[in-house]
Amino acid sequence: MALTLDQRSASRRESRRPAGPRPVRGGQSPLARRQRRIFGPFLAIPLALYLVLFIGPTLYSIYAAFTNWDGINTPTWRGTDNFTALFDDPLFIESFWNTLLILVVVGIGIFVLAFSFMLLLRDMKGKGFVRGVIFLPHIVSPIVLAIFWGFLLRHDGLLNALIVKFGGEPVAWIGPDSAFLMIMIAMVWISTGFYVAILMAGVDRIPGYFYEDASLAGASAWQKLRHITLPLSWDVIGVAAVLWTISSVKVFEFIYAFGASQGQMPPAYEWNAAVFVYGVTFGGATPQYRFGYACASALVMLLLVTGMVALLRRAMRRDAVQF
Amino acid sequence: MSTHTTPRTGVLRPIGTTAVWLFVSFCLFAFLFMLISSVKSSSEILNTPWSLPAAPDFGNWSRAWVDSGFGAAATNTLVLVVTASVVVVGVSAPAAYALSRRRGGLSAGLTMFFALGLGIPLQIIVLPLYSVLAEFGLIDSLFGLFLVYVATHLPFTVFLLTGFFRSLPNELEEAAALDGVSASGTFFRIMLPLAQGGLVTALLLNAIGLWNETLLGLMFIQSNENYTLSLALIGFIQQQQYNGADYGALFAGVSITILPMLLLYLWLGRRITEGLTAGLGK
Repeated sequence: MALTLDQRSASRRESRRPAGPRPVRGGQSPLARRQRRIFGPFLAIPLALYLVLFIGPTLYSIYAAFTNWDGINTPTWRGTDNFTALFDDPLFIESFWNTLLILVVVGIGIFVLAFSFMLLLRDMKGKGFVRGVIFLPHIVSPIVLAIFWGFLLRHDGLLNALIVKFGGEPVAWIGPDSAFLMIMIAMVWISTGFYVAILMAGVDRIPGYFYEDASLAGASAWQKLRHITLPLSWDVIGVAAVLWTISSVKVFEFIYAFGASQGQMPPAYEWNAAVFVYGVTFGGATPQYRFGYACASALVMLLLVTGMVALLRRAMRRDAVQF
Repeated sequence: MSTHTTPRTGVLRPIGTTAVWLFVSFCLFAFLFMLISSVKSSSEILNTPWSLPAAPDFGNWSRAWVDSGFGAAATNTLVLVVTASVVVVGVSAPAAYALSRRRGGLSAGLTMFFALGLGIPLQIIVLPLYSVLAEFGLIDSLFGLFLVYVATHLPFTVFLLTGFFRSLPNELEEAAALDGVSASGTFFRIMLPLAQGGLVTALLLNAIGLWNETLLGLMFIQSNENYTLSLALIGFIQQQQYNGADYGALFAGVSITILPMLLLYLWLGRRITEGLTAGLGK
């Protein structure tokens, strides 16, 4: 199997560069042999670090999800008890639900905004400037953005100051019913610029003459979008969707900094799965150190991500358009 | 760029353009607000949040830097960010080169294996990682955090650099081989200098990510003298709720955290956005 792969790639290389003598026999060229010699030494350190500090912990976490591990004592096996407990735990249900809201609702919000911005920016004056400015939230700490968001929305904050100035009544933006919505809006604000940059990097590769041809043929703007832009940026959209799925589950810092006060965890209605892991282990004034339980919740989220990514890849699969 | 690439159904376009500029203004406003508030007094920030300060007050900055520990936190962050991003790029580059140059199942499998780490949420690994570090007495230690930073940023860096090395041509190595340069000599003396652009991008992206990192710090650091900037900010907010608020110093701390990133972005912005979206658009 490995040999056939080698041969195939070697012959592909051959066909790409036909000029010059090439003593390649099934991937056994002198060059390939030299590369083989450095393979081990060059990979040893990163592979060791990765195995010990990344893959090892991942595997242990999967094991610990079935135990009552507290971080100190030897874990004892609990079977699937952690998982049944999770789905009886209103706090986890809330966190799980909120994670899905961020994944789906915020995801759709970002996509709609980023795709429209991308279309508008294609022929707008100052597109480089716009692209640069809306990318800004992506390069600073979410803690900072959470502080700003708090200042914007608190009772004596920026928004209410404006409302009062124009004779209105201050609005309670950060209440039990509205706080999570505000977090979701912030997520859209923070991430849109990044996805605009990704979409534009893909769409910029579409040659201009496609559109010119279409115009000559009398295609409407809508037809161009439908038959040129969308099919040719389909792959990028798919990658962006996978990227958002993975990163939406990791959202933690913003929520924690936005909602936590006086060493307490944020109120339950603001929790997502990442906050849950912290909340049942180290978080709060009296940490619970329920490591096994937290690992179980993290495993549920990993399965959710894996399932979503598999689903997305299936749904987005099209015949690749080469251009 | 052609002028007729976008749907233009009458009113939609002006509305859209206005929305784009509103969005841009909001982003600019957010950053200006934070920077300007860092030289306002607390009462000015609370009572006239929309106004410029009567007179800029840089006392906030010195209180934040000295009394609230943002100076020490900035030093910790800088040391961590520089060492961790240099080391992670240093160990990833040879690996990425080896992976990009060898064909076949093993190499493809290992490339996939590293990429796998991109999809694993950190929450999965932090708790076992905690006990590994505790085993070696590396909790609440900047060295421990450094190790964790290197490990958690390996998958991304290897992934990024493998793609980059793949784009470099093979001919030079063949020439070097004919000249009798060893394989590792070829890497260090010929390929590394060629790969400078990719290495700088990798360094930059790691540095930005690590500068803003919070979750790992929150889990593995306990005492104030080991705080990074993000932790100092969280600590400051939580302390204020007991002691009454010094919002001026808070925004000075915020500015200390964001200014280096803003300057870096002004300087190397294109490289950052292109690096972050590299390979995704293709």
